[in-house]
Amino acid sequence: MASLLKQDDKSKDLEPEVGSKAASSEEPKKVRAANKDQLSPFASVKLSVFLMCLMALTILIGAGVPQESQGGQEKVFEVFGNQIAEWLVRLGISDIYHSPWFLALTATLTLNMIVVSFQRVFPKLRLLKNTLPFFRGQDILKLPVHHCLTVAKADEQTALIADLSVRLTKMGYKVRAEGTKLMGQYGLVGRLAPSVTHVGLLTLLAGITITSWTGFNGFQPVLLDEKLNFTDSQHSKLWIGSLPKWQVRVDGTRRENYATGQAKQWFSNLSVVDDKGKVLHQGEISVNNPLTYENVDIYQSSWGLAKVAVSFNGHVRQLDLRPMGEKYACFLPLDQDTVLIMSLASEGKSLRVFAKRREWQAPKLISEIQAGKSIKLGDVDVVFEKAIPITGLQYKRDPGLPVTYLAFGIIMIGVLLAAVPHRHVWVALEENKLYLGGTSRKAKVGFERSIDNLVEKLKESFTLQEQEQERVDQGEEANV
Amino acid sequence: MSDFQLYLTNTAGLSSVASFWVFVASNGTKKFQGLALKIANGVMLVGFIALTVAIITRGVEAQRFPLANLYESLLWFAWATMGGFLYLCRSYGIQQLGWLASLLAATMFLYGSWLPQSQHDISPLVPALVSYWRQIHVPPLIVSYAMFFLAGLSGLLNLWQAGRLRSLAFCVGTIIAACSAIGLGTFSKVDTVWLQLLFVASSVLGPVAAFRSLGVQDAAIEQNKAARKAAEMYDDVGYRCVAIGFPLLTIGIITGGLWANHAWGSYWSWDPKESMALVTWLSYAAYIHLRIQRDLSAEKLSIVSVIGLLLTLLTYLGFNSLGFGGLHSYGKFK
Repeated sequence: MASLLKQDDKSKDLEPEVGSKAASSEEPKKVRAANKDQLSPFASVKLSVFLMCLMALTILIGAGVPQESQGGQEKVFEVFGNQIAEWLVRLGISDIYHSPWFLALTATLTLNMIVVSFQRVFPKLRLLKNTLPFFRGQDILKLPVHHCLTVAKADEQTALIADLSVRLTKMGYKVRAEGTKLMGQYGLVGRLAPSVTHVGLLTLLAGITITSWTGFNGFQPVLLDEKLNFTDSQHSKLWIGSLPKWQVRVDGTRRENYATGQAKQWFSNLSVVDDKGKVLHQGEISVNNPLTYENVDIYQSSWGLAKVAVSFNGHVRQLDLRPMGEKYACFLPLDQDTVLIMSLASEGKSLRVFAKRREWQAPKLISEIQAGKSIKLGDVDVVFEKAIPITGLQYKRDPGLPVTYLAFGIIMIGVLLAAVPHRHVWVALEENKLYLGGTSRKAKVGFERSIDNLVEKLKESFTLQEQEQERVDQGEEANV
Repeated sequence: MSDFQLYLTNTAGLSSVASFWVFVASNGTKKFQGLALKIANGVMLVGFIALTVAIITRGVEAQRFPLANLYESLLWFAWATMGGFLYLCRSYGIQQLGWLASLLAATMFLYGSWLPQSQHDISPLVPALVSYWRQIHVPPLIVSYAMFFLAGLSGLLNLWQAGRLRSLAFCVGTIIAACSAIGLGTFSKVDTVWLQLLFVASSVLGPVAAFRSLGVQDAAIEQNKAARKAAEMYDDVGYRCVAIGFPLLTIGIITGGLWANHAWGSYWSWDPKESMALVTWLSYAAYIHLRIQRDLSAEKLSIVSVIGLLLTLLTYLGFNSLGFGGLHSYGKFK
């Protein structure tokens, strides 16, 4: 393996951007060392890897421990018990994404990315303009993939170089020629991948910054016929700008079911109204289908039944419902031992009335009431007036959205470019010997095979003989 | 689920098992090895075609894109694993990865077949999944997971060919422990805290032990140039898998953010599953940076790719089966 790694080191030295090192090595090394000294300590790729690992570890912990911002602090205590939960809260692990540690780590990684981008990644773009040198035969033999062939017939030499040039061009290489030397380059666009990806990441940073400084988001559950008031709802801190003055009224909200009774979709009919109640805009929203007004998007994020209106001998009461799996229920204690339970599966379904006494193992169904109908429970006339739904409205204004979308596009292009292998081939015909070799950073085996195939095809067309070189020993065939 | 679809899925499952045994058996004979490997590849190809048709049939029967629950995602994962191997085999001529790839596909079929009937049945979508974003967001992720698994398995073969047998044993032991934790988390009533502990402890201790054991090398293998050449090839195969998987994971994460923004007005909510996808992304970003810098040897990078495999496993199956919550509960059935 050591020799393989040494070979890899050779290819590193012979990388195209430093390709001239094969010809003269000392001067570029000094330049490189001097350049390295000019780099900021934050431009270290080792630091990038270290920070990425720390970030991954931090997020891993955050993913494993319930976060206060998602399930509340009580969830942490429920999962870990008092003793451990207290420590988790004290150390900031239960709200790790807002902890000073995470923020400092994010800031350091951001700084590292910016410095690496400008000191390491972007300057390499200039190297793409550099014209790569032609190699001598002895230099080609130092490349990780190389062949040395004897050209038996002297009159074939010119045709051989011309044929090689055509074949390499057909293989996608951009070929340059100088006398009996060729230099081919493939997948130069692949070298743009780090720069494009880093441009995308920096653009993303800009988009997020614009959003966090000038945007806002929030959530409010709203009952039917009531209004979403941005100021009164739970919302993120606003740094620049102000919350809308207008409000959103819920005119209607419903749940659409599959035949099995499972929820298929939730809908809400919304009206945007000003402070005098004038309707400015109307629309229906559903999950994955928001309403937009003055750059504020309003989303259908959840849905449920909040209350049930029931009248007892003509006195209407709104009873709070609690979600119980697929159903909703409310509980009315009648005396110390008896509870009246009203259960509702969904809007439009009948209200099921149960009684539960302490000595009973399970509640007993007393009756079912259709909406608008009544039943008699002893002396009490019970009327099921209606179910009152509640719709969860999420909202946001995101001025950085176009920049963020642009960043996503650039990042995707960058990572796709990374899959393109950047390859170089050098050819030199010296006396009666043809030297052919090259390097590839990615898909090395595929590259080696393509060169081997090329040599085989050349052998078919010309009178060539392979020179002895280091080969895998016969009888030691690799079992791959 | 129709009988035709069941027949096709079973054909694919049995093909993966059969190809595994033929791949294994091919090592027993030098004389017929070539023929046996061709048969194994052929059987794998039959399975791949059957599974492709099965997935399409399921989509036609369900009248929706057939990727909405854990069972369907496992079918996709097995499909991507088989397809990924067939592509690599064609590009690199590698065969020994075949028995690991077919074992992986067979394990996924087995895991899927043990899921409750409700997972096998074509069920309607919950409101959050009724979106065209589902077919844009999920397939790249599943295919990237399969490619990362193949990269990890190539890492194991690299360690084998490089003679780092002790490191290999630690890596294999770690993967078995992690898979056991997920299997028990899915199908048993063992307390998830213990299973989380098993997964995390093995995933930390195993790779550390593997790194520390890299100095121990089989001398006979070290002298074998062919084995070294093969090790180099598996290193290249692993990198190729990551080079395919990483853009797909990036696209999957970004399209997930776009979907979340479209549906809920927020790109990112630090949901455990999306956080884990980011952890996996960071780990492979670190792998790529390490490789570009060439600071680590191929064997060390192989262990890094095994760590990536474990993180992928945790992201894909671990977070649902080991009792972590979150918005991505579609892959959950308990």
